[in-house]
Amino acid sequence: MKKMFALVLSALLLVTAFAGCSGSSQKNGELVLFTWEGMFPQEVLDGFTEETGIEVTYSNFDYDETMLAKLETAKGGDYDLIIADDYIIETAIQEGLVQELDTGKLENYGCINPVYQGQFYDPEDKYTVPYGAGVQTIVYNPQAVDIEIKGYADLWDPSLEDDVGVIGSYRVVNGMALKVLGESYNTEDIAAIEAAGEKLLELAPNIRLIKDDNTQDDLISGEVNAAVLYTSQVTMAKMANPDLKVVFPEEGIGFGIMAQFIPSNAPHAENAYKFMDYILRPEISAQCFEYLGYYCTNKDAEEMISEEYRDFLTLPADIDTSSMEMIENIGADAVAAHDKVFNEFRTACGQ
Amino acid sequence: MAKETSLKRRQARGDFLTTLPLILFTVMFVVGPLVYVVVLSFLTRAETWGTVPEFTLKNYADIAQPVYLGTFWQSLRLAFLSTLLVIAIGYPFGYFMAKLGPKWKRRTTLLLMIPFWTSSLIRLYGWIIIFRAGGVFDSLLMALHITSEPLKLLYTYPAVVVGMVYALLPFMIFAVYSSAEKLDFSLVEAARDLGASPMKAFFTVSLKLTLPGLLSGVVLTFVPSMGLFFIADILGGNKVVLVGNLIQDQLMKAHNWPFAAALSVVLLVLTTVIIWLYRKLSGVKDLEGLV
Repeated sequence: MKKMFALVLSALLLVTAFAGCSGSSQKNGELVLFTWEGMFPQEVLDGFTEETGIEVTYSNFDYDETMLAKLETAKGGDYDLIIADDYIIETAIQEGLVQELDTGKLENYGCINPVYQGQFYDPEDKYTVPYGAGVQTIVYNPQAVDIEIKGYADLWDPSLEDDVGVIGSYRVVNGMALKVLGESYNTEDIAAIEAAGEKLLELAPNIRLIKDDNTQDDLISGEVNAAVLYTSQVTMAKMANPDLKVVFPEEGIGFGIMAQFIPSNAPHAENAYKFMDYILRPEISAQCFEYLGYYCTNKDAEEMISEEYRDFLTLPADIDTSSMEMIENIGADAVAAHDKVFNEFRTACGQ
Repeated sequence: MAKETSLKRRQARGDFLTTLPLILFTVMFVVGPLVYVVVLSFLTRAETWGTVPEFTLKNYADIAQPVYLGTFWQSLRLAFLSTLLVIAIGYPFGYFMAKLGPKWKRRTTLLLMIPFWTSSLIRLYGWIIIFRAGGVFDSLLMALHITSEPLKLLYTYPAVVVGMVYALLPFMIFAVYSSAEKLDFSLVEAARDLGASPMKAFFTVSLKLTLPGLLSGVVLTFVPSMGLFFIADILGGNKVVLVGNLIQDQLMKAHNWPFAAALSVVLLVLTTVIIWLYRKLSGVKDLEGLV
């Protein structure tokens, strides 16, 4: 009897194991979306399914690098639409994992804000459509900080001892020192990167924490009183405490773009076009950006964003866009130098 | 006679077949990845993504730079400190736990196990609530008028040490407990009857007999503490750089997989040497079946 039971159980196991394979049979009405968690409000995804009948499968990754490794394993297949950061898209294009877009299929293509087009990762806009931009800004609490912060150089001020938080991106952090020294974010001059490292060692006593996740919480709780944050964190910090001041560093503004692309062997590329076009519609786009908390890359959507969010999601009218610089991929030797400099900096912060 | 050998052969075949799945599993999931990592550590990184199949020793040479050696030193120091503290708290705990009655043994075990029912990340966030500015610990000290303004406790080295000790303590307690439970306390009594002082009885009898448990506890504490980088991330504000952090950064940020592999290999060799040293110095062959 027991044997019978075991047999039945193992048979069941086998059946369920194979069920997974046959279940996802190729339906035409499917879209496999691959991006970070929480990139779209559920209403937008539901609205798309309702309108087109296309089921959205949302799979997510934690790091850009994980995405590229998975896409490489899938040989550009499996996924229909991917949203990731600029620099990794450049690599994906170089690896031949991205297909050229037929922009004729996108009715709302004209809505895109041209500031975010023609950038290094896709200079001719052949492969990508932007979906949100991040601008590195300094946020501080004017009640607790004695000086007026105007740029990165002010973070070196001795009055901010043990009071500054920064995000964990080594290119952004090293880039602050490069900018203070009047260099480009993307310099491949090892001596310049090392000089930035020296400069960073002087900043170390002011650094209380270096972290990527929920850095805004430490600013809100008063653990630090000045911080360099990602855009979505800036939005959350400002929502929680409107008295915080947001500064576009006077040394120049670094920014990054998240963009959508269709992998070279996407099984349902047509559905990907439909989805891209759907979220390019200004009213849908405005909904997405209010949820996402990144700078709106859709020009026509800007005026539909509600008053309370507009300040955080659109660039100030008087901003000098020529002072904006993206963080681009650089050569292996420069990356190694950055890595070394950043580790020296972190170790110095812990002393 | 012939019958007996065929029986033996059949038995040997049976032994082999029953262990075969385990052997296959080990080869696939332990030996395979290990070989992969070692091979990877001798390859050259590509300019932006992936590797180029060219043999190089550069990855190992790079580790010799002061900043990376410093990271290894920092990890070792933290691991030593955490292990010492874990011994100081965990050994007496485990030892006296073994002396409890069966009912209280069960209760203590349960209390020790309960925290494991939630994710270790969530437990670490609990420490953030305790340590942060105006948090539980701060408010307590201020209410008792010991301090007058919030201390900056979070994102410091001591916070990392506390997190490490907290995370690793149960391993030491259970290792010592399992050893101390087997200890025949009448031997201690005999030593006392024969005129040994309590201290002397402890050091010559109890400690000697529980040493295997203590040492397996040390291995269970020391080895993971070399790699528990997320504690340094969360409680140390990323300012305490450990080898684990470095390896993660190489994979996720610098895209330098061969260097990450070389760091892993060195870490592996280092921990192997340390375990070997423990065994050599203590003369204990059996670390409670651990190594």
